[in-house]
Amino acid sequence: MTLSHSPSGSARRRPSGTDRQSRAGIAFVAAYVLLLIAFGVLPTGYAVYFAFTDAGGTFTGFSNFVTTAQDFRFMDAVGHVALYLLFWLVSLVVFVVSLALLLHRLASGALSKSLRFLFYIPGALAGAASVLVWLFMLDPTVSPVSSLLGMLGFDTFGEVIAPGNLPLLFTVIAFWTGAGGWIVVIYGALNNIPTDVMEAARIDGAGAWQTAWHIQIPMLRKWIVYMVILAFAGGAQLFVEPQLLSLASVGVAGRDYSLNQLTYDFAFQMNNVNGAAAVSVELLVVSVSAAAVFVARSGFFDAD
Amino acid sequence: MTVNQSSSSPKRALGRKRAVSLAGCAVTVLLTVTACGGGTAGTTTKDGFAQAPQKDGTLTVWVDATRMDAAKLYQKLHPEVKLDIVSYDGDANGSNYLQTKVQLFNRTGKGWPDVVFSSQNNETSWAVDAGFAAPLNKGLIPESTLGKFAKGANDVCTVDGTVYCLRNDLSQAVLWYNAPLMKKFGYTVPTTWEEYQKLGTKVAKEHPGYLVGDAGDSFTPEIYLWASKCGANHITGPKSVSVNTTSEACTRMAKLLDVLIKNKSMSISGVFSTDFGKNQADKVLLMPGPAWFGGAVFKDTLKVPARQIAVAPIPQWQGDGAPSTGNVGGGTWLLSQHSTHLKAATDFLTWVTTDNAYQGEKAPGFPAYGPAAEAWLKGQDASGYFASDLGALSAASSQVWPEWGSGQFSQEAIWASTVKPGLTQGKSIVSMLPAWQDSIVKHAKSNGYKVEQ
Amino acid sequence: MPTSSPRRLVPRLLTGSVLLVFLVFFVLPVLWLVLAATKTDQQLVHGHPLSFGSLHTLKANWDALTAFQDNAVLQWLGNSTLYALISLVITLCVAVPAGYALAMTEFRGRHTLLVSTLVVMLMPTATLVVPLFLEINAVRLIGTMWSIILPYSFYPFGVYLTYIYFTTAVPKDLLAAARMDGCSEFGVFRHIALPLATPVIALVGFFSFVANWTNYFLPYVMLPESGQMPIQVGVGTLLSNVPSFNPAVGTLAIERPQLALATLVAITPVLIVFLFAQRFLVSGMLAGATKE
Repeated sequence: MTLSHSPSGSARRRPSGTDRQSRAGIAFVAAYVLLLIAFGVLPTGYAVYFAFTDAGGTFTGFSNFVTTAQDFRFMDAVGHVALYLLFWLVSLVVFVVSLALLLHRLASGALSKSLRFLFYIPGALAGAASVLVWLFMLDPTVSPVSSLLGMLGFDTFGEVIAPGNLPLLFTVIAFWTGAGGWIVVIYGALNNIPTDVMEAARIDGAGAWQTAWHIQIPMLRKWIVYMVILAFAGGAQLFVEPQLLSLASVGVAGRDYSLNQLTYDFAFQMNNVNGAAAVSVELLVVSVSAAAVFVARSGFFDAD
Repeated sequence: MTVNQSSSSPKRALGRKRAVSLAGCAVTVLLTVTACGGGTAGTTTKDGFAQAPQKDGTLTVWVDATRMDAAKLYQKLHPEVKLDIVSYDGDANGSNYLQTKVQLFNRTGKGWPDVVFSSQNNETSWAVDAGFAAPLNKGLIPESTLGKFAKGANDVCTVDGTVYCLRNDLSQAVLWYNAPLMKKFGYTVPTTWEEYQKLGTKVAKEHPGYLVGDAGDSFTPEIYLWASKCGANHITGPKSVSVNTTSEACTRMAKLLDVLIKNKSMSISGVFSTDFGKNQADKVLLMPGPAWFGGAVFKDTLKVPARQIAVAPIPQWQGDGAPSTGNVGGGTWLLSQHSTHLKAATDFLTWVTTDNAYQGEKAPGFPAYGPAAEAWLKGQDASGYFASDLGALSAASSQVWPEWGSGQFSQEAIWASTVKPGLTQGKSIVSMLPAWQDSIVKHAKSNGYKVEQ
Repeated sequence: MPTSSPRRLVPRLLTGSVLLVFLVFFVLPVLWLVLAATKTDQQLVHGHPLSFGSLHTLKANWDALTAFQDNAVLQWLGNSTLYALISLVITLCVAVPAGYALAMTEFRGRHTLLVSTLVVMLMPTATLVVPLFLEINAVRLIGTMWSIILPYSFYPFGVYLTYIYFTTAVPKDLLAAARMDGCSEFGVFRHIALPLATPVIALVGFFSFVANWTNYFLPYVMLPESGQMPIQVGVGTLLSNVPSFNPAVGTLAIERPQLALATLVAITPVLIVFLFAQRFLVSGMLAGATKE
């Protein structure tokens, strides 16, 4: 991956400012660099070291990668995750950006504020806390939306959690918990678009649709790219949602569904930390490659 | 990954030096971290393992919420013992908490608890290899105590003849039934599976909606197929298993279940599902199930009133001379090899598994220790909830078929993910037996087992 | 563009119905959860899903919940608050200056820092647990609350939020002007950047608090004493004592409505912090400021 630094910084160099700025910049990031090394770089480096060694610490090349890829669940998990990623990314980008734009256009500030709060609430329900919720939502016998489930042709919990429905179910669960936070972020970013830009668009006669498409969304570029990078990585590391459904269904659906679940299985069930690290490194490589594409195309790292 | 910077100045060299020193620092810490661990100096070999130097101090025990009462009672009765009671999830649902922590402690060389309760039966499948579980029948626990556990109770704790844990409770399967309802319908309790199937067919015709059992739980194979001597899970050695799910013993039970599922006298919801609780709770006529069904299912979950539920031996196949039954769970206690308070730990372990003060009077499940089980049964009879005595439980406690083991892979999880979805779609169990076998074999192999088919 | 009211009505109706559908989607499960806490286990299964139980039952559920291991729930809440707040303070002190510097100043290693931050952010956490445990052990912090507070305090997500905020919303010219006026670099940060950064500080603070509050796996693995558990791990423990989720539990320690109540208790602090932070999140500080 090549990140070309734009030369504009040096071209516009202010004679006395740069050295001072540089020193100050380093001072501002110093504490963060310490934490980054201790809790980011070092553990990640250690995990990479695990991926290429065996339990005794001997270098083994790619053998951990080969063994884990040969596990009978591996290819299934790759397929599951790929399909889920598709659903997840599309729904997140489309709905989060649209909802943020709609909320931003609401005339009533109080209404917009309350809606953002209500949309966010599920974000607080992480992990174990929402197992109960989804067990009851998805079970037609006791669900508040049993008539909806019935219309879709589902009469029992077992039918709802049939293997073919899982990517969609996980997307719904992940969207329910994750979307509210991103709506808040994107909404905040919309607010920072200077009013004169919006005013100019209005005077030019741009409608809501044109303003959104030609003004607002381009100005949100960095935020959207950031969301996509993290959502891609988060989706590739799918774990909580299948785990949660697996708990709710006592193992019927969602066990060993995703790659990340397999890493936990390798690490803590089979005592194979090295194999787990190999799968993690694969996920990391995929996420970083995707991120590199987005970063390169969006000028994400440019200071200006 | 390359990062292009436009200028090159002395500052840049400084930056590079800084980067190098940071990396160096990282490597140093890494090496320090790697160097930790090990350190088994000063051990003496006694009771069949290398013991750490013994000293006084606080005894650390890990229990789940249910066993908390046991630890607290011990503290009350033995105020002189310094006890640190830690509550954890008891490895429920195969959370692997204990295994995870022991792996980490093994790397750092400290932190192990002295005594641990686990709600799983398969801890020895890793805890022996990990050097955590201490051998108990090589001097720590006398043979006279071990001999009084129900026959086969400690099989799940035994690896190559050495006992590495003690069984807390048994979960032998029996036939639960609703006595007043049976009387009202004019039925007699079946003693053979053939009679059981006939009764199911009759119930479907005469009293549609009523149930003779449930086959929707993940532990269904452990109730029916285990009792039928189906060799799906014969653990033949520490890392070897023999799997055959298509033998006569398996297919005839699968066929029986298929017939009853088809005529709807057998539910496929699972006794803890909301569907069962809402629509079928008051339709239970008969229900093969483990010992703990009495309290956990009928009394607490389905809220069946007192003096209705009774217990009979689980049916047998006609002409089978050796009665057999299955088993669903039952916890175990492990003692750490690394304990520096082995005396206190052994005292606690002995008390908690055998003493009447807990096992006989307070324990929620059927005690694995014989004398405690007798006291426990008396207590249950006196409580007046059941419509019959629980003698069938005692008889069944020694009839658990020994050729179904507890491997590292979870049979319940395999059944839940392989067979249960098919059941929901209306497939027969018989038709899914080969797929079930295939799945067991794959899971066993991926856990490093040698598989015989 | 000339607009007449019927032409406006259709998009408005459309907007309204889209927002309504999503409102139901986000709120209905939460509403169910709130109502569940007021019912008995029997009512939960047999009654209408959206019926209200009774305040009396709510009280009974609360009593049963607090009775679990002698007020363990309150202790878990206290622990969570302590861990989340201390790491919140460290996170803000570390992440906001770092994000500012990455966005507004040029220094050697800036790109390296941006890239490595992004890379470690994308690393799956499962395998990081073992290295973290060994590191924390090497500095002898296992068993103390610092074993989770320090890893929590490393919050790359927040650094990026701040970074993007400054690059997209704060004009560099503003800072340049301040420098011309003789402000020191720290002065520029303190007097110009920080006041402009209120929305993003609120955002980082809020997300950091939530991330720490809802983190399950790290404390689950790191903390040896049950008395140190935060509420998320506590809720997990409760869950494993509900027979529907763990059939072999043996006795009925916790019923589902009590679990629902525990869940509500666990999320309330997050919602309070959200309401507090929301005032600052979108305050529109920069209205009128130009960015060229």
